[in-house]
Order: sequence, then structure tokens, then C-alpha cells
Amino acid sequence: TKRYSSESRENNSELFTLTYGALVTQLCKDYENDEEVNKQLDKMGYNIGVRLIEDFLARSSVGRCHDFRETADVIAKVAFKMYLGVTPSVTNWSPAGDEFSLILESNPLVDFVELPDNHSNLVYSSLLCGVLRGALEMVQMAVDVRFAQDTLRGDSVTEIRMKFIKRIEENLPAGDE
Amino acid sequence: MNCPLYIRSVPTQGELKFHYTVHTSLDVVEEKISGVGKALADQRELYLGLLYPTEDYKVYGYVTNSKVKFVIVVDSSNTSLRDNEIRSMFRKLHNSFTDVMCNPFYNPGDPIQSKAFDSIVSTMMVQAC
Repeated sequence: TKRYSSESRENNSELFTLTYGALVTQLCKDYENDEEVNKQLDKMGYNIGVRLIEDFLARSSVGRCHDFRETADVIAKVAFKMYLGVTPSVTNWSPAGDEFSLILESNPLVDFVELPDNHSNLVYSSLLCGVLRGALEMVQMAVDVRFAQDTLRGDSVTEIRMKFIKRIEENLPAGDE
Repeated sequence: MNCPLYIRSVPTQGELKFHYTVHTSLDVVEEKISGVGKALADQRELYLGLLYPTEDYKVYGYVTNSKVKFVIVVDSSNTSLRDNEIRSMFRKLHNSFTDVMCNPFYNPGDPIQSKAFDSIVSTMMVQAC
């Protein structure tokens, strides 16, 4: 089992940030269209998420969540902490309890990143939406994940909005997108 | 290829004259960094100090190990700026430059258009004047 000491987190994070940056800029060159890049990042994220969930469940030993509120807490306090070293806050619950926001004060993916003017429609961290969507699908939850605010696009915080769509039947196979 | 990636002056009029001063200072920088033997070059300090005095200005230089050159031009009448303050300005510039390089959208060699870099330079220039 791997141990993420805070020291190894710091040494790894610059390479991780630069690698993600290289991935995004390469996609920008390949597709020349922000919306398409967003879609590709989301797709990649989904493929990561369906696999990452196994690692997460094995390493965190969290049990089955009883409701969406518990899911939100586990995502913010355990998953984000484990993989990105940050703990977003969970807020803005819808009255029905099926939608909430994750507010990130900092996001290691975007360290040093400044979006040029010609990429105003790029949602740089779209990978994260896919990861969350793919991971939750493997525990039978269909969710919609999108960025409501983005510091790279001038907002004061980064806000991810997550909405519960429905429970997925267990015998439906999930595959790569 | 010796066009500057970034040039800023306060006040902004007369910026052209700074282009000239900076350009001629590059020769002095080259002289300073090539004038040491191989052994000394390995220990060369990044901060080059006062490059040359002119009637109106004091010109300071700093070169990274990747041969990126920073030049600070200060009015001769400014006697309050001390050597360690200039050193600290260069360190801040160097750190900000490193952040610019880490922006995946920045292509090395392009003019620097980073808002973060602009803001560090603005703050520094306000403090120095």
C-alpha cells in the first residue's frame, strides 16, 4: 500500500500540475475548439473515475453511504483530500437534498495557470467532472457534475455543482466512454 | 534573439530610451558571464550587481543558469535603494518568471502577458520609487 506523506505530496504536485497542463494544451492544439476540449477532458476523467473508485474504496475503507449528504462529505473530506490534497467545503444544498456545491479555495490542477483570451470557453479542470461522474457510476449513482464558478475565468472561487440524477440498476455494465 | 520578453517603466513615457539602455547593458552582461574561467563559472552568482554607471541611471543585472537575463534600471538620483533591496527585487522577478514558465499556455520565447507577473512588477516599482 502506498503512503502519501505530506512531503511526497509537495514533490509530486508540480509534476502533476505540469503534466495536466501539457495534456490540456495538447488537446487545445489537437481540437482547436474549447467545447470539444471540455468534452474530451470530461471523457478522460470518466475513464479515470471508473478505475479510481476501486483504489479509493480499498484505501479509504469507507462503507456504503446512506444518503447523498454522506456522499458529499466523503467526496469532500476523504476523496479530494486523498487525491488532490485539498478539502472543499460542501454548501448550497437544494431543498430536495439532491444537489450541492463543492467550493474549492485552491485547486492544484490550476497552479500557475492563466487562461489566454482566446480560450474563454475552456473549462480547464473538466477532467474532475468526469472523474466524479465515473467514480459514482461504479457505486450505482448517476450524477451530473459541472463547474458553476472557475477562478481561471475570473470568479472568486471555484465551485463544482453536483446533482443526483438516479440510482443505477446493479446489472447494467458500465464501460469506457 | 535579443528582444525583451518584458519591459516596463515608470513613468511610462520615455520607455523607448530604456529599450536602448537595456539593450546596451546586454553586452556588459555577456562580458561578465563569459569572463570567468570554467571552474568559477560553476559557482557564478546569479546577481551581477551594478553593470555600469551612466550619467542618469544605475543599471543592475541578474542572469539565471538558463541564461535568462533580468535588468533593472534605476534613476541615479535614487540613493535610497540599497544593494540587498535590488537583490530581493531580482529574486522576486526570478520567482515570478518561473511561475510564468509553469503556465502551460505560455510558449517560451513569447512576450510575457501574464497578469500575475504584471502585478508583481507594479508592486515592486511602486515600492522602489
